[in-house]
Amino acid sequence: MGVFQQPVKVRGMRISEDIEKRKGTILRIQRMSTEDGPGIRSTVFFKGCPLSCVWCHNPESISEKRQIHWVKSKCIGCLSCVPVCTAGALTATDDGIIINRAGCSLCDVCSQACPTTALAIYGEELGVDDLVRELLKDRMYFEKSGGGVTLSGGEPAMQPAFAKALLSSLKRHGVYTALDTCGQCSWETLEALLPHTDLVLYDLKEADSEKHRQFTGTTNARILENLKSLARFMWECGLPRKLWIRTPLIPDCTATAGNLKRIGEFIREHLGSLTGRWELCTFNNLCIDKYDGLGIDWGFRNCSLMSEAEANSLAAAAAGSGVDPGIIHISGPMSREVRSEA
Amino acid sequence: MSMVAAAQSMHRIKEPKNLSGRIVWLRDYYFTGARRAWNNEFTSWTTGTSWDIQFDEMTFYIVPETYPFLQTFRSSMQQTAREVTLHPDFWAWSLPERKAWFVKEVMVNHVPQEILPGDLIAGGRFNIQTSKCWTKKEAEDRDRLIYGKKGARARMKWFHDHGYGNAGATSGHLIPGYERALRIGWRGIREEIAGHYDILGSGDQAGPRGAQLRAMMVAAAMPGELAGKYAAHCEMLASVEKDPVRGDELRQMVVNLRRVPGEPVQTFWEAVQALWLTHMLVMSDENYPGPGVSFGRIDQYLYPYWQHSLAHGMEREFGKEILKCLWIHANTAYDAMIRIGKNGITAGYGQLITLSGRGEGGRDMTNDLTYAILEVIDEMSPILEPKPNVRLHRNSPDELLDRVVEMISTSQGAPFLLNFDERSMAGMMQEATKAHVERLIHEGNVHEYAPVGCLENTMVGNDRSGTVDNNLNLLKAVELALNNGRDLNEFVDPITLKREKIRQDGPATGDATEYHAWDDFWKAYAVQTRDIIRRCAALYEESESIRARFCPTPYLSCLVKGCAAKGLDITQGGAELNFTTLEAVTFATTVDSLLAIKYLVFDRRECTLSDLLTALKANWQGFEVLQAKVRFKAPKYGRDDDEADEMAGKVMDLWCDETWKYRTISTNRRFRPGMLSWNYWVGDGFILPASPDGRPKGRFLSNAICPSNGADINGPTANANSVGKVMGGKAGDGKGDFEGYCNCLPNGASHTITINPSLLRDKEHKAKFKAFLKGYAENGGSCLQINMLDAEMLKDAQRRPEEYQSLLVRITGYNAYFTSIGRELQDEVIARISHDSL
Repeated sequence: MGVFQQPVKVRGMRISEDIEKRKGTILRIQRMSTEDGPGIRSTVFFKGCPLSCVWCHNPESISEKRQIHWVKSKCIGCLSCVPVCTAGALTATDDGIIINRAGCSLCDVCSQACPTTALAIYGEELGVDDLVRELLKDRMYFEKSGGGVTLSGGEPAMQPAFAKALLSSLKRHGVYTALDTCGQCSWETLEALLPHTDLVLYDLKEADSEKHRQFTGTTNARILENLKSLARFMWECGLPRKLWIRTPLIPDCTATAGNLKRIGEFIREHLGSLTGRWELCTFNNLCIDKYDGLGIDWGFRNCSLMSEAEANSLAAAAAGSGVDPGIIHISGPMSREVRSEA
Repeated sequence: MSMVAAAQSMHRIKEPKNLSGRIVWLRDYYFTGARRAWNNEFTSWTTGTSWDIQFDEMTFYIVPETYPFLQTFRSSMQQTAREVTLHPDFWAWSLPERKAWFVKEVMVNHVPQEILPGDLIAGGRFNIQTSKCWTKKEAEDRDRLIYGKKGARARMKWFHDHGYGNAGATSGHLIPGYERALRIGWRGIREEIAGHYDILGSGDQAGPRGAQLRAMMVAAAMPGELAGKYAAHCEMLASVEKDPVRGDELRQMVVNLRRVPGEPVQTFWEAVQALWLTHMLVMSDENYPGPGVSFGRIDQYLYPYWQHSLAHGMEREFGKEILKCLWIHANTAYDAMIRIGKNGITAGYGQLITLSGRGEGGRDMTNDLTYAILEVIDEMSPILEPKPNVRLHRNSPDELLDRVVEMISTSQGAPFLLNFDERSMAGMMQEATKAHVERLIHEGNVHEYAPVGCLENTMVGNDRSGTVDNNLNLLKAVELALNNGRDLNEFVDPITLKREKIRQDGPATGDATEYHAWDDFWKAYAVQTRDIIRRCAALYEESESIRARFCPTPYLSCLVKGCAAKGLDITQGGAELNFTTLEAVTFATTVDSLLAIKYLVFDRRECTLSDLLTALKANWQGFEVLQAKVRFKAPKYGRDDDEADEMAGKVMDLWCDETWKYRTISTNRRFRPGMLSWNYWVGDGFILPASPDGRPKGRFLSNAICPSNGADINGPTANANSVGKVMGGKAGDGKGDFEGYCNCLPNGASHTITINPSLLRDKEHKAKFKAFLKGYAENGGSCLQINMLDAEMLKDAQRRPEEYQSLLVRITGYNAYFTSIGRELQDEVIARISHDSL
């Protein structure tokens, strides 16, 4: 157990108690989250991600920097924002407010002036203590449900010192912690977080390294290596206690029988009984507004939801890899069964 | 990275299931509504005097929808009334004796006794409007108090029209001592009353106490006599019945009705029969169909009979069949005004039953009958009455919770309310301390409490707490504080278009535009709050004192402990526990308005108070930017934001403390606080002017203890935490009012959350929801209603109402058929489809 009590060295940086005073960049806290691990959870969305998946459902989480966005549906056209921008980065057009992002200094004056939150900044700097105080408000629900706090994002490992301080503070308060990671970070970074983590939610998106590069901007080499290291760590230390693998089912990308079979084989070969659950998360299009707000064109704009039959057939392909079929779960939205008109 | 689950449209209406041919027929027949050949519509009965009336408008003073019809109701009941030949001594008797005799005469000898095909329970027509039995002088005295410029009606109308709310001495809303009536029978009840009469001195016997007890003895004979009539009718039916099985049933009903409700109950069938006759006659006696006359802990007091009958060969399913007949009977209360309309008038009864809950020492009291009744509810749903409230607590068994969650997930709204014992019991204990009734409510018996109507907690069989009698809009105090004790806008009568000058109605608290600090405004608000509570209590006194003098209910008095011992009618304060509840309406709108004023004017200096006044007078038109700032940027109650919730707590403490200070003068009933908004938050939104929280006139106010519509952006746990916090939260020392819980609202508070069906889509999520309920028991309020709806389904119901006739929604503690609630309210329910977990 000694390993957990020693200060851990991460790339020459000594993580110690004084780091708790540091702040992290957080997108939001989602309370009564029922989709990010067991029980009722509060999910902390970190800002910043090393991957840039073409289908990303949380585009506001990719950049580690704060970002301004404008939501058309919330704008009442009062133009309180345009004149207050000292950089002259806002223009009112017939289609709404155009943001010159290159000129914007994120000074926050316009979003303060906006009466409706149509103009707002993604990303808020929060200290560990404030964050923990907020998260503990749902402690009773965590306890009754076997839930807790999930660090998600974005990628929590992009803010390693802060993530570690947050996890360890939560552990000191007896909160069940989960780390939702894409695995694209140094092993040392990940290793430093593990002693304070009860459950790892680990993404395996694409088995083919080249396709992985195409879809996410990087190969999967480090992700797979880290996962193997994680497995060794869990075998040796008995911590984190649980591992869930998550695979997004993205039409025309990852949602192929071959991909699921190969990921399944990896799980069977390298993780074995460690994997408590393998979640197949169906594509969803609820993030169109976010892309619009950030002024980003999204290639999946017209992509429809997966049908239940499709999802089931992919789950069957996953089971075909030889993993324990009991660990395979489908989650996320599927196209609705249209009721026949009476 | 997180994946989210979208709404999966359930898009279907709950269907009844597992019903026998008998029940299918009775249920289908019931739902044919006004087309039925048999119904339980009011019949009206008179003494035949020219001054006689039947309809008592005061009991409708809390139902603003009926105000335009009060005179019509009075006249139509008068015109259709049939004359009853009076006893030769009738006019020599006291008023309560006249009343007792008249109601009994009508129910036993004039209203026909009928049994619907296959019905296992006797007791058909009970909706009656009876003569008030007044002498000419009494009628004139009473009318003088009701009518005229300073009469009770005009004062009530003024109060309502000016946005204060409403108050009136209302029928029902209590749990009669049914358990005792079953245990000792009406013969036993009558003997007890006779015992009290016999020990009176001759002076008292000749006086009002003697008269009251004689009246109660007459009333106590009614159930037995009526049962005898039904027995004879069943005997006749049996003699011509060709089906031998039905013949045997009818013969057994004859046996039952010859014994009960006069004699102590022995079997389950007898128990349900005795319970129904005893209960329906309360509605006859009060001349009002099912206004929160509640059954109490039905799964507890019927359980010995259930066990007895099961042990003696009753099939469990047959026991449920008997209960299903009771369900049909309870719904016929709605027939009273079956041809008048659905909007508000007939959509809000509440013959509440209570299931499960704590017993002595925190023991869970769930039993086989609890589950059998839940099965009945599930199989009969959707159906309105009797309305169930399941009491949950820290030690509720998983089996019960699983059943509850399963039922929530398969119906379009939870088919019951959920009461939370520890928070509720803390409220009752605080009531005991505040009102010095520790002898009657204490650690040893507080678990016997039960909710009335929807969620209004009271003790059982000895308590009338007037749970819907005073409904005060707290927001009125904000308006008066903003404008130095004067209304913001001129009152224009909506019918006559007559304008009324703005007057100094409230205390002059000063010109708010000259306040320099938030505290100045708060002080003005506090003064105005105290004044509107004073006004409400004074208004209530009007109808309370008239009822006490002119409207005895001797039959009901037999069922409420205290009345016989005191020789005092329940309308005169006869019950052992006598309260009247002030239900605060517009809580969140008020809190958010105060937060908005503090934020805009004093903290951020975004505008001056004078700007705000101008915006409010203009109904926010032309001030959209300011309005948006309030809506989107100002803090709000219901987000588990400690600063905002602290304001909510201050508002709560202020009005609660003030409420406890009042008693009725005529009947010595103490005022106690509660939060139920029935549907006032809808209607009064069209009366109260624009509010500082950004709400324009014409938009709904907040409902009961719920956060303002759309304000609870942090989800159900945050919402629940805010609610629990403002009710008092938990004590740091672990003591509080009860087991660490505090509760400043003994009546309890209505809390509704709307949950998307996707939150309950599979076993895993159901387990999470069950845990949410367990967490709610620790952190939340006293009563939760869960709407499990989906916006698309509701919009479809708006488009094609004919296909959604039986779609139930729950609005502030009462159920209504969605298609009958009116477009604005429909839109409101749709707007509340929140917590999508998106």
